Amino acid sequence: MTNGGGEGGSQRRELHGKRSVFRGNDFAYALARMAVAQICESVEMNSYQESQTREGVRFSSFQETALETLTDVVIQYIQNVGKTAQFYANMAGRVEGNALDIVQALEDLGSGLGFDGAHDVEHCLADSGVVKDIIRYTGEAEEMPFVYSLPPFPFNRGKRPAPSFFEIGAEPPDEHIPVWLPAFPETKMSNGSEETNVDKIEGDVGSRENGPSLTSMQQSVDVDRVKILKSMDQKEVQKPTEEPEGNPFLAAPLWAGEKNVARVFFPSELRKEEISINHVPEKSMSKSYHIPALEAYPPSDKINEKNRLAETQDGDERNGTRTQRGLLRFKIETRKASLCWKRNQCLDEKGWFQEDGDRREKKVEREEKPESVDTDVK
Amino acid sequence: MNHGQQSGEAKHEDDAALTEFLASLMDYTPTIPDDLVEHFLAKSGFQCPDVRLIRLVAVATQKFVADVASDALQHCKARPAPVVKDKKQQKDKRLVLTMDDLSKALREYGVNVKHPEYFADSPSTGMDPATREE
Repeated sequence: MTNGGGEGGSQRRELHGKRSVFRGNDFAYALARMAVAQICESVEMNSYQESQTREGVRFSSFQETALETLTDVVIQYIQNVGKTAQFYANMAGRVEGNALDIVQALEDLGSGLGFDGAHDVEHCLADSGVVKDIIRYTGEAEEMPFVYSLPPFPFNRGKRPAPSFFEIGAEPPDEHIPVWLPAFPETKMSNGSEETNVDKIEGDVGSRENGPSLTSMQQSVDVDRVKILKSMDQKEVQKPTEEPEGNPFLAAPLWAGEKNVARVFFPSELRKEEISINHVPEKSMSKSYHIPALEAYPPSDKINEKNRLAETQDGDERNGTRTQRGLLRFKIETRKASLCWKRNQCLDEKGWFQEDGDRREKKVEREEKPESVDTDVK
Repeated sequence: MNHGQQSGEAKHEDDAALTEFLASLMDYTPTIPDDLVEHFLAKSGFQCPDVRLIRLVAVATQKFVADVASDALQHCKARPAPVVKDKKQQKDKRLVLTMDDLSKALREYGVNVKHPEYFADSPSTGMDPATREE
């Protein structure tokens, strides 16, 4: 892994003072620097002198640039191991990494320098030379825990989610906004009166790198919350404080049969049972009549009704068919002459396809009867 | 990598070595703290709830740093000491990790941290006009 791409890159780096590693996480970087320094300090090289006494030679100090460079390299090393391990895990169709993924990643990174058994492509990963090297290292090197005791790393874990409308007690400005969504931040109009509340900052500002922005944001949220509460007291909230429904998308899935869901009606059953979904007033009598007619022409019933007031039977039949939710069945039968005539007329107008017929029928319907009862045609 | 059934027992042994090591890792505290390693691993997309894997990476990194440092130490020691004075000077040379030694050590690991020897106004300063390239 080339660092900086040669001389030009390093020159650019020196001029800008930036690192190839993102220095935004100063806390993590400082910790890494300390850990690296600790490790380097413990590296001891034994040298034999004439008196055959072992002399452990260690580094006594570092050049600061050298230490920072080494820290950069170490951070990139860790990131590379993670990236490669994740890559291998994804290749195997897994989301989480495995011990063997890490071993493979270490082999990849160590292949430049070489390790035992690198030539053997088919060896078992658990038996890899890399692992053996590490085992040997842990056996030989002295254990040296980190000098400082770390607080639990508060990297971006202290961010509290913005309070929802319900938590604040404010009413969402529009109806389409559910209660469980975070509240809108108010535009700061006057901060003078709310100075005292600015001090009430939640103590969870863990990530120091986001220090100023996070605190100011939380300040504004607190200020807004107070404002909203005050406005709440002034005007009466009409909306009843119901139980917070919570985010329905985050709710646990229901078990089968837990909730009563409306049955799905099959058209074929309707034909026999005459179960009506949308009630039609004059439907009750249609059961006794066999419905030979075109079931796919419910709108035509209305027109026929209008035309033939006397024949309520057929009207009922048609209404019965109307409730059947628009079937695509074409059963054409011969009927009485008058009926036929009407029907044929309708047919000529509409054609044989229900959808087109329905649309046209609907238009005709609207023209003729603007106050028609809405049926369940489509 | 089909070891087949014949080496099933061998595989168990190999696995045993790795699993034993992973178990022993819980006793060994690597120098790099777990949270730090986990942070950097998560930064590159590797998330794992198992602490032993984090420690494995931490130990591997520690070994890497130790190797680099020992190579740099060798380079530092191998440099001829500038002992000019004839006084009784103990060989207590204070060894300092310099960029020079470090770049030599890292060179073998494939990391190029070569510093420019001098800084010039432009990359083509001092070159022949004929060979000047940008």
